Amino acid sequence: MSLTAAFVAELQEALGAEHVITEPEQLRVYECDGLTGHRAVPELVVLPHSTEEVQAVVRACHRERVPFVARGAGTGLSGGATPVAGGVVVSLARMNRILEVDLESRRVVVEPGVANLDVTRAVAGEGFFYAPDPSSQQVCTIGGNVAENSGGAHCLKYGFTVHHVTGLTLVLPDGEVVELGGKALDPDGPDLLGVVVGSEGTLGIVTRITLRVVRSPEAVRTLLAGFETTDAAGAAVSGIIAAGILPSAIEMMDRLTIEAAELAVAPGYPEGAGAVLLVELDGVAAQVEEDAAEVERICRECGAFEFRAAADEASRALLWKGRKSAFAAMGRVATDYYVQDGVVPRTRLPEVLRRIEELSRAHGLRVGNVFHAGDGNLHPLVLYDAEKGETAQARELAEAILDACLDAGGSLTGEHGVGMDKACSMPRMFSERDLEVFGRLRRAFDPDGLCNPGKVIPTPRLCGEVPGPYRIHALERIGVAERL
Amino acid sequence: MPSVSSLREASEALAAAHADGRRCRIGDDLTTAGLDRILEHEAGDLTCTVEAGIRLSALNAALSRHSQRLSLDPPGDPTVGTLLAENLSGPLRHRFGAPRDLVLGVTLVLADGTIASAGGKVVKNVAGYDLARLVCGSLGRLALIARVSFRLHPLPKASRTLVVETDDAPAVVAALLRSQLQPSALDVLHPGRVVVLFEGSPRAVEAQLATARALVGGSEADAEVWEESRRRQGAARGRVRFEPGRLADVLAELPEAVVRPAAGVAYVPYDAADDLPESVRRLTERIRRELDPKGVFAA
Repeated sequence: MSLTAAFVAELQEALGAEHVITEPEQLRVYECDGLTGHRAVPELVVLPHSTEEVQAVVRACHRERVPFVARGAGTGLSGGATPVAGGVVVSLARMNRILEVDLESRRVVVEPGVANLDVTRAVAGEGFFYAPDPSSQQVCTIGGNVAENSGGAHCLKYGFTVHHVTGLTLVLPDGEVVELGGKALDPDGPDLLGVVVGSEGTLGIVTRITLRVVRSPEAVRTLLAGFETTDAAGAAVSGIIAAGILPSAIEMMDRLTIEAAELAVAPGYPEGAGAVLLVELDGVAAQVEEDAAEVERICRECGAFEFRAAADEASRALLWKGRKSAFAAMGRVATDYYVQDGVVPRTRLPEVLRRIEELSRAHGLRVGNVFHAGDGNLHPLVLYDAEKGETAQARELAEAILDACLDAGGSLTGEHGVGMDKACSMPRMFSERDLEVFGRLRRAFDPDGLCNPGKVIPTPRLCGEVPGPYRIHALERIGVAERL
Repeated sequence: MPSVSSLREASEALAAAHADGRRCRIGDDLTTAGLDRILEHEAGDLTCTVEAGIRLSALNAALSRHSQRLSLDPPGDPTVGTLLAENLSGPLRHRFGAPRDLVLGVTLVLADGTIASAGGKVVKNVAGYDLARLVCGSLGRLALIARVSFRLHPLPKASRTLVVETDDAPAVVAALLRSQLQPSALDVLHPGRVVVLFEGSPRAVEAQLATARALVGGSEADAEVWEESRRRQGAARGRVRFEPGRLADVLAELPEAVVRPAAGVAYVPYDAADDLPESVRRLTERIRRELDPKGVFAA
């Protein structure tokens, strides 16, 4: 496909020539997101500055049947922002204004290009924060968070992006503008806001977002426990949940990840530990104190050989630094790694971890585990060496791990999204009918299939004619006799 | 009123209506009263999967045996299907949200009998479109809700209620919301009272209550006041939504109401409905036409 000169001129007219990129060298900057294995050079990149400019771009694309892909900071890990060859990339980087801080309503209104952490920065002085905290929060944008329904370490207690967005301005794929929700909660009618959040940029382009911000807690306590094995640490996680405690975060790292983190940032994790748990409690001081004592008791009961609480903000930051740098730290122990993003019911964690260990041995590749243990969201890091030709092997192992998650009643993805990466895996979690209904919903928004095509839903062109083996959906399994 | 008692029956009944071009209104022409089982309750995971015909009271009675609950407390005793379809919540909305915040997955039966699942039963999951949230507030117009998976919470070990009699509710509310207290419920029973619920361990609840009283005064009351709140909410004829920061303006306009100030929702004794923008109505209609092209579920 080649865009006409008239089309390009129309967008230059609408946005200003300097905000329409056509130079091949510059276009290449946009050829992939954080999933660097998938690349496509777009025909055109545009940088609109307002809802009206986005609308002008989308209208033109719709009229000429040109596919388009919205893009934030490009930190996504599932290829949700991978361009479509011959299509347009709509970069929202210039729409980075915080439009309104309304603390009387506890709302902040932003444009999609605002970085996640900047929302907290805008309200921290008044004692508020924006809760979803993906690891990339310094750079990732709210628009991207909305597309992916991003989580983060603290979503165990505070919820995901969908729990913190109260209103959206959405440019539909035909250019019509829709206002969903606002500062008040619970609008009448189907929860369209809840559908658009997490739709991975396939239902339109979001140009304005109203966010809920939260009052900072009175007390925060960060605890670290060292265990001999991940089984023991897993038992402690179950014990904490069973005791009715809701920490804001429970993170686990295994031996390999601990070693890598020590090499990289020396967070001072217990020496020789087979697993560490990082538990954070926050809330009213009296409750936090009580829960902290209970967490210590449970961890020790489950065999923790070391237990400590961060004494001050600096030691707290160091404990978290080890966790947050875990992915990058893998560079110290392997040349390449692939991050998987599976979910299992948290009670199945120990058995799935054992299964991952078996698979790792069977495939002859090391796997480091670092994950959000509180909500069963695993991030196994498959270590390999591309130069030794281990890429395909690593891919296979990552797929096998995903199968183990699905077999345990879990999910394909907890926070990274489906994007391009897992579109062809969708039939492993959803039936043909489920996917067909997803397709019907998508058509209601985008009947012409122009908005981020090729993502989320598998297509024969993308995946070949043979879908992966279908597994009974977790909800169907329960009443399997009734499956039609 | 025919009641279905299996997914298969629901699918067959709807496929037949679809083929014959008949209307089939959920709740009138077809009910899920017979679909009332708890299919799974994984206490260790704080999740459950139930059929949509189960009543909230029956579900919570079963969950309470494991010291857990579904943290939704709307007036009356709706079925889980109604809870979602009408997006019902009560005082606990303040801390725990609406059905859309607690639902993890659904199995739906579409107007043509198609059975489709979305979401899952794990607390964290971003695979596929969120049909579970889509049907929240859909009033039975998009699909029959057959099964629902929920996130649960532990039952609090203690709960205590503070009632503040005041002629300046907005000031009391503002002080509470500015504080670092974490109430489970915060209602204005307008005019004249602000009611606050604290839940947690006995000692922490005691501490919160003391801090709150030092901040805004008031006295402890028994839980009956929450029944009053629910009763008045249930008897209300309309609902008004407002920017939470404009509470004072809104209360000045209302003769009486049950108000959830953090959500920006007031239940009022006269007819009032959302003024949804025309563009939202059109989009909703487009979704309805895709999922139910023959209008089987039409009002």
